[in-house]
Amino acid sequence: MTEIDIALKVLDHQILDCDGRRCGNVDDIEIEGGPDEQPRVSAILVGPGWWPQRAGWIGRVARWVAGNERVRVPWEEVADVESGVILRKSAAELGLGRGDDRVRPWIEKIPGAHR
Amino acid sequence: MRTLSSLQRREVVTESGESLGRLYDLRGELGARTLRVTGLVAGAHGFLEHLGITRRSSRTAIPWDDVVRIEGKRIVVRDQKN
Amino acid sequence: MNKVFGVALGILAAVGGFVDIGDLVFNVSAGAMFGYELLWVIPVGVVGIIVFSEMCGRVAAVSKKAVFDAVRERVGFKAALGTLIASEVVNLMTFAAELGGVAIALQLLSGLPYRWLIVLAAVALTGVIWAAKFEWIERVFGYGGLCLLVFAVAVVKLSPDWGEAAAGFIPHVPQSDGTVYAYFVVGLLGAAMTPYEVYFYSSGAVEEEWTPKDLGLNRANATVGYGLGGFFSVALMLTGATLFLGRGIEPEHLGTIALGAQVPLGEIGLVLALVGILFAVGGASIDTVFSGAYNLAQFCGWEWGRYRTNARAPRFTLTWLVLLALGTLIVLTGVDAVVLTEYAVIFSVVALPLTYVPILLVANDEAYMGRYRNGRLANVLGFVYLIVILIVALSAIPLMILTNLGQG
Repeated sequence: MTEIDIALKVLDHQILDCDGRRCGNVDDIEIEGGPDEQPRVSAILVGPGWWPQRAGWIGRVARWVAGNERVRVPWEEVADVESGVILRKSAAELGLGRGDDRVRPWIEKIPGAHR
Repeated sequence: MRTLSSLQRREVVTESGESLGRLYDLRGELGARTLRVTGLVAGAHGFLEHLGITRRSSRTAIPWDDVVRIEGKRIVVRDQKN
Repeated sequence: MNKVFGVALGILAAVGGFVDIGDLVFNVSAGAMFGYELLWVIPVGVVGIIVFSEMCGRVAAVSKKAVFDAVRERVGFKAALGTLIASEVVNLMTFAAELGGVAIALQLLSGLPYRWLIVLAAVALTGVIWAAKFEWIERVFGYGGLCLLVFAVAVVKLSPDWGEAAAGFIPHVPQSDGTVYAYFVVGLLGAAMTPYEVYFYSSGAVEEEWTPKDLGLNRANATVGYGLGGFFSVALMLTGATLFLGRGIEPEHLGTIALGAQVPLGEIGLVLALVGILFAVGGASIDTVFSGAYNLAQFCGWEWGRYRTNARAPRFTLTWLVLLALGTLIVLTGVDAVVLTEYAVIFSVVALPLTYVPILLVANDEAYMGRYRNGRLANVLGFVYLIVILIVALSAIPLMILTNLGQG
């Protein structure tokens, strides 16, 4: 059991999947439970769709450019918190890194993409 | 169900009306499969400390058990001992 | 021995890559307008970029985070997003200026029409980045930039007044034209302390998986690499001072700048100068377009890297392709490359505090850096330069407006 400051150590940090692949940043954190309960972090929230609630109008503009994607990764999928958040499964299984997956087929059409 | 970002920057006040500053972080206990929220980290100098301009010492957190209610713009806690 | 050799080669490449179009324009113009009087600004700028880069390199080696990883974690999401947008705009402007410089150098070498050469340069750069190994790119462009040594040789041949030049290294206030002088101080510092170079350096350090063991290498790279690079800036300013001062020649074109080597050394001087400019500015254009891609990828958490294959980091690859295309369009509008350079340098100075401050904070943060946090020297220098950067950032746009982009 380690004591950590959640915004300091988790929020806005890089997410790595079980293969060490970069698949997003922690854009927000979902918390379940209020006063008189035992609150816990229930999920990490990933994607530009979560930006407006953090950055007001500038977040809305950024979302307009970056897309509306919103992914919710239950906290049980987190293996460890080091300098980034490390997940138990691969990005694909958790719905992360889809932007890269969508762009990759186009890049691969160009010769030399695997150099 | 709420988000950490929505809690941040809310003012933390005691039941008797004393302001303890703004909430800028939550203290948690990281276990094997869970991350429990155990306290609030707030302070009048919270902003400067968050940026790291003033010393980042181990700030005492307000225990979560002291939280009375969470309102739209504030979080009300029981009066603190010191 | 082999390792020392490798480090030396790396430093050589860094030295050759120090000069970009901002340095070319501002150093020669400063010499043309004020002779030796602004020489003292060059070491101030060089020490500034050394301080900034050393901190970024140390942060990368100890915390494994590049500049925008650190910015996003540290300053709060809203401020980080604002910083990202500002940096991307400045990066794009800078890239367009560098690309314009490449096209002009090609035109002076080949005589082909400028507009075609813009497209040719863009296509060539795309091909090089796409297909070539990055280590190869760094070496080739770095060594090619060393051709700029011809300016040092040219200066010696022009026999400047060395006594007067030495006096120029002592900071002083000018006889006249105070506001124009101040504008050049700002421009010279901006040209030396380019943010894209820092983004590029720190991302490379993370990719090469530097550890605290590499901190000595980091310090060597920063001090020797940029220190020697400053030597080129001195040569350029001396060229402007000896050839153009008082003759009403304002180096508004790269061709005029290349004259600095042609007059004392003839055709061979001209060709070497143009080749040196081509490689230095070409290398800088690659660095800027990559910096734009690094910043966006790091902010969003995407896969990134210059050593990754293009398919392994698809959105990162797409980003630099898009930035390259946008920059090409900007240059194709026919905007004057030198004017664009001045705007790019001024705006990057204004945006400089946005990334300098977070890095200074992170470099001091014990949670990130442990025992490698800033020592007393790093902090004294770090905070002195914070003041310098803030003053320069706040005065840049007013001075630009007041002096009408240095015209007076």
